[in-house]
Parts: sequence; structure tokens; C-alpha cells
Amino acid sequence: MAQLEIRQVSKVFTDHTAVSNVSLTVNDGEFLVLLGPSGCGKSTLLRMIAGLELPTYGDIVIGGRLATRLQPKDRNIAMVFQNYALYPHLTVYENIAFPLRVRGANTKNVDEKVRWAAGLVGLDSLLKRKPRQMSGGERQRTALARSLVRDPDVFLLDEPLSNLDAKLRHSAREELRQFQDRVGVTSVYVTHDQVEAMGLGDRIVVMQGGTVRQIGTPEEIYQYPADTFVATFMGSPPMNLIQQDDITLGFRPENFLPESNYPSGSDVTRIAFRVYRVEYLGGDRLLYGHVCGGLPETPAIARIPSSVSYSPVVGSETPFAVATADLRRFETSSGRALPVDGIVVERRLAHG
Amino acid sequence: MADARAAMDGDRTLAYATLAPSFFLLVLLAAVPTVTVFATAMQDVGMGDMSGPYVGFENFAWALESQAFYTALWNTFVWVFGSVAIEMIFGLGLALLLNKTFLFRGVARAVILAPYLVPTVVAVLVWRYMFHDIVGIINAGLITVGVIDKPLLWLNSQSLAMTSVILVGVWKFFPFVVIALLGILQSIPQEQYEAAKIDGASGFQQFWRITLPYVMPVFLLTALLRTIWSFHKFEIIYLMTGGGPLDATTTLPILVYLKAFSDFEFGRGAAVAILTFTILIVFLGLYFLLIKRAEAHQ
Repeated sequence: MAQLEIRQVSKVFTDHTAVSNVSLTVNDGEFLVLLGPSGCGKSTLLRMIAGLELPTYGDIVIGGRLATRLQPKDRNIAMVFQNYALYPHLTVYENIAFPLRVRGANTKNVDEKVRWAAGLVGLDSLLKRKPRQMSGGERQRTALARSLVRDPDVFLLDEPLSNLDAKLRHSAREELRQFQDRVGVTSVYVTHDQVEAMGLGDRIVVMQGGTVRQIGTPEEIYQYPADTFVATFMGSPPMNLIQQDDITLGFRPENFLPESNYPSGSDVTRIAFRVYRVEYLGGDRLLYGHVCGGLPETPAIARIPSSVSYSPVVGSETPFAVATADLRRFETSSGRALPVDGIVVERRLAHG
Repeated sequence: MADARAAMDGDRTLAYATLAPSFFLLVLLAAVPTVTVFATAMQDVGMGDMSGPYVGFENFAWALESQAFYTALWNTFVWVFGSVAIEMIFGLGLALLLNKTFLFRGVARAVILAPYLVPTVVAVLVWRYMFHDIVGIINAGLITVGVIDKPLLWLNSQSLAMTSVILVGVWKFFPFVVIALLGILQSIPQEQYEAAKIDGASGFQQFWRITLPYVMPVFLLTALLRTIWSFHKFEIIYLMTGGGPLDATTTLPILVYLKAFSDFEFGRGAAVAILTFTILIVFLGLYFLLIKRAEAHQ
């Protein structure tokens, strides 16, 4: 168990800067998710924490100990790789035992630990299998067990669910989180999947172009995006953005409803909407269209629960509205969020 | 239905028709000579019309009772296992080296292939010149450095000829081993090493526990392939020493050649060829067994 600090870390490769002046602290026992599109520097940051890459600038502190220049093996960290990196010629048992064996642990100790770790992830009955005889989910659990077998201070996960099919990914996510709660080890998890990030993270770090755009709980990031990048990266479909001179208005599709849905007298902002296509998704309907009537004609999406009785009329202008409390404002030039009435958006911008 | 059947028959006819040329070529180039050799081995063929009285297995009996055959068999094993062992160890070392990142790695990889690409005759002529006892660079070099004080008869002494021939064979064929092993080394996912580093494995442990097990199936397969190829290697030895001095480098293929075209005992030569062929088949069976096991491993 340990706190992890990243102090003004940058990684410059010969042709580009992968990570630029990132500072953050992962609290003891916290599950922190690094989220961003591919090439945003999240994996490079994780590899620097692991010691597989050396930071060009800055320091990494693990459990109060300066670790910037320590070998990976001396950091007492564990890592689960995207493709699990299991040793194909070894059984599950020997894969899990590997970290203990290379450190010269005695056989009895190894056996005890391996069975403990395998039990944690429910692999007890598969110990004699080779990796190629197992499903993706079982391999992932083997990788988990291997990384946990020597009580790491910090647990690093590099897109461990991305090789699983969609159905399995859902249950594996649930298992992973339960598992982390049980073990309580400080974890840093890299993903490009915002749903995964929201579901798993105590806090999320949204990265783009090597910098941190926002750090916050899933609610903070979703409700109060620090800038237009975060606003459109989080949520599917993304936040609608309507550029109106210096100010850009933002509202989530699910907050964009026909005016008739709001009780009379509630504080709403009216926005006329012309629907040109309806997508039925079962639980919801997605309405694709343009905002109009006074605002600059901009494409927008409304998400209306199927339980709400409303029949959209394609082609005609309909009065829609957003509860004023759900409306966000951004500075058009910088993309930064402006303060919301009564709520101070704690943005904690690393580049601010 | 009838149409479909007619179409299928048509397909089949076309298939046989297109296969026929290759089939006849195979029969002509492989089956006919093999059968001919068998036939020859059963006859007492001398010079002249390439046929002679039928003698059954007399030629085989001769071979299995003659000192020449066993000497050649022994020489073949020395040649094969000597060169393959050195090629494999040396080849693995070089492949590991070339798998590291360094300046001019691409150039080094290309240069390493050179011996494999030089025509055997050219290479052997140069090597013979280098091995020459009076004007050869090898003796000159060794004398200059002080390892020896008088020239060694590399190709003309019974004790050194085999060593010299093996050296040239290794030089000529180790690039094959390097390329085969480099291929498998490059296919090892980098994450395996990264995971091992994080797990605490030292450089030696990474080699022993990841690299070696990964390479092993290909290593064994390559070794066996090189064994089979060395076993029937003819031109290098023949061009270097002609099988001599005396019978010091007479391997089985050389014995076949000498019996047939030097002693003009075609029947006995053919019998030795068949015996060589039989030993090779055992290795071939082993080879296919290994391939099957390697495939099951995938």
C-alpha cells in the first residue's frame, strides 16, 4: 500500500513530446483511471511509473521513496499488460509463481502464495492449464493473479479489458472493481474507454496531447467538464456544443428535452430544435437535428427515454429546452469552462 | 442435380488435367531415378552398358561387411554432428547479438548472409587457397601470431582434414541458422520481457526463462534440418579434399560417388546410396514428428 506521486513529469522522444509536465497524486488505496484517446500519453505515463521508460524531466515518488531512476523490479509495483504477456510455455501455476521464483522464494512459500492469488481471482481449478488453453477472461485473471502474488505497493493496468469481447468486458469490469475493493491496493488504470473509466475510477484523469485536461471524480468530470475537449470526450453521444460568439453553450443530450416535458414555471433555457432523423435504441431514442431559432444553426443530438411519450416530427421546428442548471458555458477561444452559478468547478488543471 | 454432377465431374477432370504435368515431372525426376538406383543396387554393374547380372542383395552385403562403409559412416557422423553443433551454438549467439539494437544492425544482418550466398565452388577455391600449407593465409597468420612454428597441413593430413572441412561447412551454413533463429527471436513479444523485468527477472533469468523456451522448438527443428542437409552434403567435401587424404573425409555421399565413378562399381555405389537414403529417412521421420509437435504447440 502506498501513495504515488507524479511530479512535473515530461517524456520527450526524438520526434515528439509524449507527456508534458504532468503532476498528480494517487492516494493510498485509490483507483485512478488515466483516460484519453490513443496517443494522448497515458500509456507512456504508466510506463514511466512502471520504470519501463525514463522520464525526461520530473520525478516519480512511490510510497514516499524517490523512484524515478529505480529499476522496475525495485519499485515493488505490478503491471497487467494489454495482451497479458503471459509466458506461453508455462502453466497458469508457473505463470503466477514466476515473480516469486525469479526472486528465489522457497517452494513452500511459493505454493502458498500462488494458491492464495489464484483463489482471489477464482483460478483454483485451472492451475495446470497453459495460457493457450484458456479463454480471454481466464488469461486476464491469470495476469491479475501473477501481478498480485508478491503484494505490490502499486498496481498498474494497461487496458487490461480491451482484448475481451463486449459482453465479457462488462462482467470483467465488475469483477476487477470488486477485486480492487477487496485487495485495496493503489491502482492506476489506463484506458481509452470512457465507460470503463466512469465505472471503475475513484477519480479520472482525462489526458490529451500529453497534458492533463481534468482530474476529478466521474461525476465531476461528466457534470462539470473543464473544457470542450473533456465535454465532448466524455459521454456517448457527446455534449452538444453551440458556439455563440465568445461563449460556447454546452448541454448533454439527455438534458435536452421537449419543452412540454418540464413542469411549468421551472427555470429552463429554450432552444428550438429541428429533428431530421430518429434512432431507436431500445431504452432511448436519439434525435439528430439542428438547433435553430436565434441560435447559430448547429448539429445537436437529443436523447429521450423511450418511456417519455413524445413523437418527434421530422423536419419541423420544435420547442426544446435545457434546465438552466444543466447548461454549461465555455470560453470559445480557449475552450475553458466558465464558472457555473453557485458551483465552483474545481478544475485542478495541470496546464492552467 | 444432374447438372451439378456434370459440373463436378468437369471440375475433377480439369483438376486431374492440370495436376498431370507436375505429376509426370515428379515421376520422371524422383521416382524413376529412385527405382533405377534400386535396380542398379541389385546388379553387378560394371563399366559399359549400365546393366549386369542380377545379384540380389550381394552389393548390400558387401557394403555392410566392408571397412570402407563403416569408415564413411563414422566420418559422416563426425562431419554432421561436428558442423551442426558448432553452427547451432555459434548461430544462436550471433542471432542473439543481431537481435539487439545497435548502429548498422541492418548492414550487419545483410553481411552475415554473405557466406550463404557465395557459390560453393568459388568459396571452396578461396578456402583451399587460404588453407594452403605454404602460401595460405591461415598458416601465415598463425605463424606470425606465434601459435604454431611450422606450417600445418590443413587439408593434407589425416588428423586435420576433417576439422578444416567442418570449418568451411560451418562458415558456409551458419547464416541459415542465424536467420532462422533471428526470425523466432523477433517474434517474441516485447511485453514478455517487460513483464519479466517488473516481476524482477535479471537479464540471465530473462534469457533462461523466456528467450530459450521460446526459441527451443525452432532451434531443434533447425538443428534437425541442418543435420539432414549436412548428411547428404557432397560438393564442399569433394571440392575441398576429394574425400581424402586416404579416406579421412570420405563421407557416405563421397563413398557413393567414388564407388560409382572412380572404381566404376555402380552396383556397390548404388547399394551405399540406398543405405544412406535409409538413414536419412529416419531423420526425416524425426523431422516431421518435431514439426507436428511444434504445430500442436501453437
